[in-house]
Amino acid sequence: MALSKEEFEKLAVLSRLRFSDEEAETFRNEMDDIIAFADTINNAVSGGTDDIKNISENAVVYTELRADEVVDSLPNEKILSNVEGSKGFFSVKRCVK
Amino acid sequence: MKYEMVCGIETHIELATATKIFCNCTTAFGGSPNTHCCPVCTGQPGSLPILNRKVVEYAVRAGLAVNCTINNNSHMDRKNYVYPDLPKAYQISQFDEPVCENGYITLDSGKKIGITRIHIEEDAGKLVHEAGSTFIDYNRGGVPLIEIVSEPDISTPEEAREYAEKLQLIMRYVGVSDCKMQEGSMRCDVNLSLRPAGTTEFGTRTETKNINSLSNIVKAMNKEIERQEDLLESGGHVVQATMRYDANTDEIYPMRTKENSDDYRYFPDPDILRFTIPQDFVDKTKAELPELPDAKLKRYVDELGLPEVTAREIYKYRRVSEFLDAAVANGAGAKNTANLIIGGIYSTLETEEDKEKFNIKISPKQMAELVKLMDGKKINKNKGQETLLKMLESGKDVSEYIKAEDTAGISDAELEKICAAAAEANADAVEQVRAGNDKAINVIFGYVMRETRGKADMGKVNRIIRQLIG
Amino acid sequence: MRELLTTLSEKLHSGEISSVELTESYIKAIEKDNAELNAYVHTTFDYARECARRADEMLKGGNAGALCGIPMALKDNICSDGHETTCCSKILKGFKPYYDATVWEKLRAEGAVLLGKVNMDEFAMGSTSESSCYGAPLNPRNTAHVTGGSSGGGAAAVCANLAPYSLGSDTGGSIRQPASYCGVVGLKPTYGAVSRYGLIAYGSSLDQIGPLTNGVADAAMVFDAIKGVDPHDDTSVDYDFGSVAASLKNDIKGMKIGIAEEYFDGINPTIKDAIMSAVKFYEANGAEIVNVKLPVLKQSLPVYYIIACAEASSNLGRYDGIRYGYRPEHYEDIDDMIYRTRSEGFGKEVQHRIILGTYVLSSGYYDAYYKKACLLRNDIIQSFDNIFNECDILIAPTAPTTAPTLGYNGASAVEMYLSDICTVPVNIAGLPGVSLPCGRDENGLPIGMQILGRKFSESVILNAAYFYEQNAPAPIDEYEGGAEI
Repeated sequence: MALSKEEFEKLAVLSRLRFSDEEAETFRNEMDDIIAFADTINNAVSGGTDDIKNISENAVVYTELRADEVVDSLPNEKILSNVEGSKGFFSVKRCVK
Repeated sequence: MKYEMVCGIETHIELATATKIFCNCTTAFGGSPNTHCCPVCTGQPGSLPILNRKVVEYAVRAGLAVNCTINNNSHMDRKNYVYPDLPKAYQISQFDEPVCENGYITLDSGKKIGITRIHIEEDAGKLVHEAGSTFIDYNRGGVPLIEIVSEPDISTPEEAREYAEKLQLIMRYVGVSDCKMQEGSMRCDVNLSLRPAGTTEFGTRTETKNINSLSNIVKAMNKEIERQEDLLESGGHVVQATMRYDANTDEIYPMRTKENSDDYRYFPDPDILRFTIPQDFVDKTKAELPELPDAKLKRYVDELGLPEVTAREIYKYRRVSEFLDAAVANGAGAKNTANLIIGGIYSTLETEEDKEKFNIKISPKQMAELVKLMDGKKINKNKGQETLLKMLESGKDVSEYIKAEDTAGISDAELEKICAAAAEANADAVEQVRAGNDKAINVIFGYVMRETRGKADMGKVNRIIRQLIG
Repeated sequence: MRELLTTLSEKLHSGEISSVELTESYIKAIEKDNAELNAYVHTTFDYARECARRADEMLKGGNAGALCGIPMALKDNICSDGHETTCCSKILKGFKPYYDATVWEKLRAEGAVLLGKVNMDEFAMGSTSESSCYGAPLNPRNTAHVTGGSSGGGAAAVCANLAPYSLGSDTGGSIRQPASYCGVVGLKPTYGAVSRYGLIAYGSSLDQIGPLTNGVADAAMVFDAIKGVDPHDDTSVDYDFGSVAASLKNDIKGMKIGIAEEYFDGINPTIKDAIMSAVKFYEANGAEIVNVKLPVLKQSLPVYYIIACAEASSNLGRYDGIRYGYRPEHYEDIDDMIYRTRSEGFGKEVQHRIILGTYVLSSGYYDAYYKKACLLRNDIIQSFDNIFNECDILIAPTAPTTAPTLGYNGASAVEMYLSDICTVPVNIAGLPGVSLPCGRDENGLPIGMQILGRKFSESVILNAAYFYEQNAPAPIDEYEGGAEI
């Protein structure tokens, strides 16, 4: 099934990605191949349940979940160590060309 | 045309756990920006969430308190959307297997408002916009929430308010949250649509987000009803939208929405195992639920004999009702206790929040000792109140202020003697009473009370003095 | 000359060499050869020297672990405190995590020496390592050929003796396939056997960290050091493996070896012959050969791509320029900043997989793709369960071909995806698999044999691999070069 231009644009917005028209066109065509490839699974019959909720074999009893005990948080300098912060905040400054 | 309203409410409540839902950072309110954070709650690459057991326990408790069934199997899903306050670009929430489903809350009218589901999820961080720049604090990011979704059973703004108020009280009773709307630990989103009265098809609804007080629920809904009515009346139609209500200006307007922003692409979070909630745990939690507000109110009126208006003043604050219950358990009479709380303790607690916190210096046992003196008519109401205020100030026992000999009781003979002296000392007043000014008798009563240091039984004093005066 | 970990460990513990000396020899080799091979993308030599000094102290102390003092390399998607970790993506350039991945925390505590981070496909999305923003690593066996991927830098470093071992990650074959192309050993452990905490996620339900080494016993030794349940990873499993290294017995008598012909469809005949002669070797040494059926195999590729891309589209949403990594110089507003960060920061293959993942999860397509893939995943798990009732291990090729020449990225996306057919099934089923050298093709390029087993059967598959390695040494020339010890 081919992907319409509108559908492709919607996917790009959801993914927060921009493509040039040319790029979008090339990729959309490639997507058609990939989707056709993905579509092959629709010829396959799956056995058993029709509900993916029930297929995960691993489950924990809630009592095995983490205890509600506070551990010290990290210092603000660490939290902001990979970005230019501002007064302890993460910041995105106005930056128009 | 006449319209009727259809309304459902989604309520977000922050759970009172010590740590966040997926990491061990504190949930404490406030703190400098980004100081209650770690790799997990700031969405660092490679970090993984670990679900907090208490969040599940609290959700079960909340669900049982509003008559939900608890799913014995549950899991977390990812809700994908991009917003700077959401560090992973997905919120870990629950989609098709919430912890609780199918509950209800009963309004005073007896009408039931259905609760579709209660699920657990993480809160987002906080954004501050200033002069085109954006500042982000993730201290609240990852704080556990439950989202309580009602059925569209609400027909008036007043019902909406009552629903929210009851929900708030119930959640406070079961101790899962402090539900402070002004601090955002309880937030309501109101879904509202109109349809011609008597029809059954739903109209187009709008969602008014993040209403932060009970009274604003009513105001915002009235505004929105008015807006939708005007639209429909003028031949227009309602557009599905997210609205914001500004309480300062009493205006409602649609929020800026981005196109295509509504496909959340839910799928099971592969980082978190499914979890089971065994039925024996559910049963045990149910058995251990405290007395809920409706039952408490009924008991106060039916069993303790409190007037309904008094009972309501007590039951609406969980800690106050617990204090009264404990005082009564220590032998205090309910009426005197309730009256002292309302007439005495409340006068020292200025705000609703103070009453909610109910931070006072005396214990229910100390209170009971005082009330018992009143119940036994050893001291009168005024003396009781006066003593209570001193005790609240100092935190000391009643024995500090009222000595044993003060309450040893006065023999009838002694009381008659004092009354006679009182009549003699206030001959003017006696004359006035005889002349028909009955109020003048209070002067004589005052004399007796002073002499007996407040321990005389006023009923008896009244009888003796009236006999004396003739 | 390549040295096995077992040998290096003995030399360090006996005091024949010190960790500092050993480390310096690797640093020297990297400084000499890495410019050509491009295996390392970030080196941490100062830190390595510090680790080595501490390791020597530990060795003197007398109770040091097996890997104490031995240098190693981490794939560029495994976090270590204070060291640049970028997934070979422009979007993470300059990113220095302030926490250790659990695997590195364990190795560090044991006295391991970190030489640096090694090359990979951007965000582990690829089969040749050519999508790295630092350019492709070259195959030391023949530098006109790719290393495979995505853990290509690690395979190259181990092969060229620029690291005694490396940790990689395997989402759909990313450890085993480059191991096969470069002629080294690569172990993809059972899902949950090794903590994923600190591994920058690609497909969370498929990703698993494992070792690339020069020998099977070495792989067992590294696996022993990194395995185990982790309170920071909910999906890690508390399983008592005992010592896998100590369990290697050099004996396969009575072992039931399954062969599924589906694994050999479309496989290069030279590779098929090499694998089948290995199977005969096993049979001659007392193993029983069982023919099994695995018809679900052909569905495993689309199932894999749907699930991996769906999870990736969600996992990679966080790269928005706000908290770490690349941020454009100019932008209109925060929304524009996010678009620019992602459009300029992610390479094309990554962008394509994000779009594909978004597509299979989006409303209207979820049931046909994502949900269907999950249901088929369950079938694949069931099929493997049934097969492992009939046999102890499965033997299969690791890849349909030997290492292709550079520029393979020019092939169509679907063609590229098809090359993963032999490796993705075990990721889908969460099973362990090991790839080990099994001869060479007519161009002298290594062939990889894959041994697969049921969950938590690392001992079983490594035993089988060990037997082959010890008794039928694959004719691969020793690599001349690298560190001199």
